[in-house]
Amino acid sequence: MTKRGTLRISLGVVALAALLLLARSSAALASEGRQEDAADQRILTGFVHDEQDQPVPGAIVVAREPAADAPLAEGESQDDGRFTLAFPPDVTVGPDLTIELARPHFAETSVRLEPETLSELQAGQPAVMEDVVLVRRITPAFWIATFVFLLMLVLIAMGSIHNTLAALVGASLLYAVSYLGPLINEDLFIFDFSRSLRYVDWNVIFLILGMMIVIAVVERTGIFQWAAFMAYRLSRGRLWLLVIILMIIAGVASAFLDNVTTMLLMTPITIQIALSLSMNPLALLMPEVFASNVVGISTLVGTPTNILIGSFADISFSDFLVNLTPGVLLAMVGLIVYCQFIYRDELKTPGESAGLSPLLLERLEERGRIRQPGHLRKAAVVGAGMIVLFVLGENFHLVPAVTALMGATALLVWIRPDIEEMIEAVDWTTLVFFIALFIAVGAVQEVGLISFIATGIGDLVGTNLALAMVAVVWLSAILSTVVANIPFTAAMLPVIGFLTATIPGAESKVLFYALSVGSAMGGNGSLIGASANMVTAGIAERAGSPITYVYFLKRGFPALIITVALATIWLFIHFF
Amino acid sequence: MSGIVCPIRGGPASRPTIDRAIALAQESGLPIYFLFVLNLDFLMHTMHTQTGTISRELRELGEFILLTAQTRAEAAGVEAEGIIREGDTVREEIAALSREIDADYVVMGRPREAQDTNVFTHAMLELLSEELEAETGATVIFAGEQPA
Repeated sequence: MTKRGTLRISLGVVALAALLLLARSSAALASEGRQEDAADQRILTGFVHDEQDQPVPGAIVVAREPAADAPLAEGESQDDGRFTLAFPPDVTVGPDLTIELARPHFAETSVRLEPETLSELQAGQPAVMEDVVLVRRITPAFWIATFVFLLMLVLIAMGSIHNTLAALVGASLLYAVSYLGPLINEDLFIFDFSRSLRYVDWNVIFLILGMMIVIAVVERTGIFQWAAFMAYRLSRGRLWLLVIILMIIAGVASAFLDNVTTMLLMTPITIQIALSLSMNPLALLMPEVFASNVVGISTLVGTPTNILIGSFADISFSDFLVNLTPGVLLAMVGLIVYCQFIYRDELKTPGESAGLSPLLLERLEERGRIRQPGHLRKAAVVGAGMIVLFVLGENFHLVPAVTALMGATALLVWIRPDIEEMIEAVDWTTLVFFIALFIAVGAVQEVGLISFIATGIGDLVGTNLALAMVAVVWLSAILSTVVANIPFTAAMLPVIGFLTATIPGAESKVLFYALSVGSAMGGNGSLIGASANMVTAGIAERAGSPITYVYFLKRGFPALIITVALATIWLFIHFF
Repeated sequence: MSGIVCPIRGGPASRPTIDRAIALAQESGLPIYFLFVLNLDFLMHTMHTQTGTISRELRELGEFILLTAQTRAEAAGVEAEGIIREGDTVREEIAALSREIDADYVVMGRPREAQDTNVFTHAMLELLSEELEAETGATVIFAGEQPA
């Protein structure tokens, strides 16, 4: 490292330490001040929630005497919906005291205290008022946020602009409306910048970041190409066996790495193997991508949708393994049988690799060689350590994002690759996509769209958990064929959260597992259902084996039906 | 320098194109320059921007596909070379290579079906042929079956 680099890092560390000290001292001072004030103040606490019993944060609460202009006390509801009003000692609390609550997207409410509560407050005792219900209000901001969110989904589905750009356009439009709209009509306000950032799930961002660094190291070792070549060797020209081995490789890899990277690295070598065997590459590629989409949900880190679900619902690595893996294995067996059936003509003839020239065979062998065996060994050790921490970490509140970051750092320290190259390998575009997506989903949560959808689904399924589970699995599977599954899952999480809180028995988190199954296996239903499909199709098209939308639909949709049905059976067996 | 430029992608549709180029090379005694164009615009439809990795993998794949074609040409006693180019449009890369080697012929595959999502549509073929011939001086030959 250069001297300038070392100096820059040292300055950074000093600045960070100074900031931490400053933050700590100001927090301590504020805490002392609050303790002194509390000793001689009358305190009124309360809880504010919406019509679905969900806490409402950010409501401005004001205590006011009708005759007085100035409020007696002011406060704001916190994330758990609770608020505290501190009345100064020199203020007289009269019998007509009213508590006014205001929050964008809700009707303003004012309540009178019950006589007992008022007496306690007047006597200088801490008092707790009755819970307050804020009623949702459909404002122009509701329609604009909904329109922008749908526009973002359409732009992503159409693929006319990059997904990240579509999400950024959505987030920027929401900010523009929030900040400029109120100049025309105050009901155009959606949320401010600081509130929007509270919707960003940093656990997800850092978990993906850490895993990206690990993947960047692993992918350079050549393990995928080696595994695919071994499948070619082991199958010895038996194409039915080759497909099964390749499906297992793609599935296992997808359970620990993201599906796109798996297919990105598997597709070129698979096409080469198919060309060597004079067979249709799609008979190998389609089963591989189906397996990748199905098996990815076995673990927390296997798919971005699982990362989102795990973080939101506090579902751990081992929870996914225990609750989903048997269902995934069942679906995989069905998928293997199905793939053998649909490609029976292509798979029944033995591969004709005998005709391969020594030059091409040598080239194929060269591709199937581990390029960095030392790095692979180290990555295996660190990967095993990460899995142990993912599984055991929940016992000591170690969040998966921290495990991923620690694993990535350990790998970088041990392997000492070019750090700039590794940082460049992080897909920042994806991280920006997630941040913008969280903001867009936050906007429709803020204006109440998610709440209305949740209430609608809640009314439909009532308190029937089995019906709710089937609805979530199949609705998310079918919708994932037309809507990108990541934004869909992000939008559905609060809905599932609401259903989990209201349907008896749903505390087992079965509805979250149903969402995981539906959104990931639904990706097999159409070409645009999953990013891994698009990458596979893109590479195959460039190698002269185009996968059209219709071709994928004809083979993928039955795969969706079979795998989702088998996974649904498992969910019934396991949770009911 | 002179020769035959033959852009290929490697699938079954490329076989008649390769065969036509080999036959033409045997008749004329000209070498073949098989061309594989790397183009990453499909990444637009995904979140991923791992262009370095994808470009490396596609290059490896392209080299293998070109080697397959070269092997067939050499087995037929024809001199052949494989060339990989990165570019946004296949058409421009064909024109650029044809100018560079002062090509006599460009042998290209014809889409097998009218609805095939090929790089070129049937409607564009005639226009493309005229443009390439005017731009490079090479004779453009389409291999494969004539659409119904």
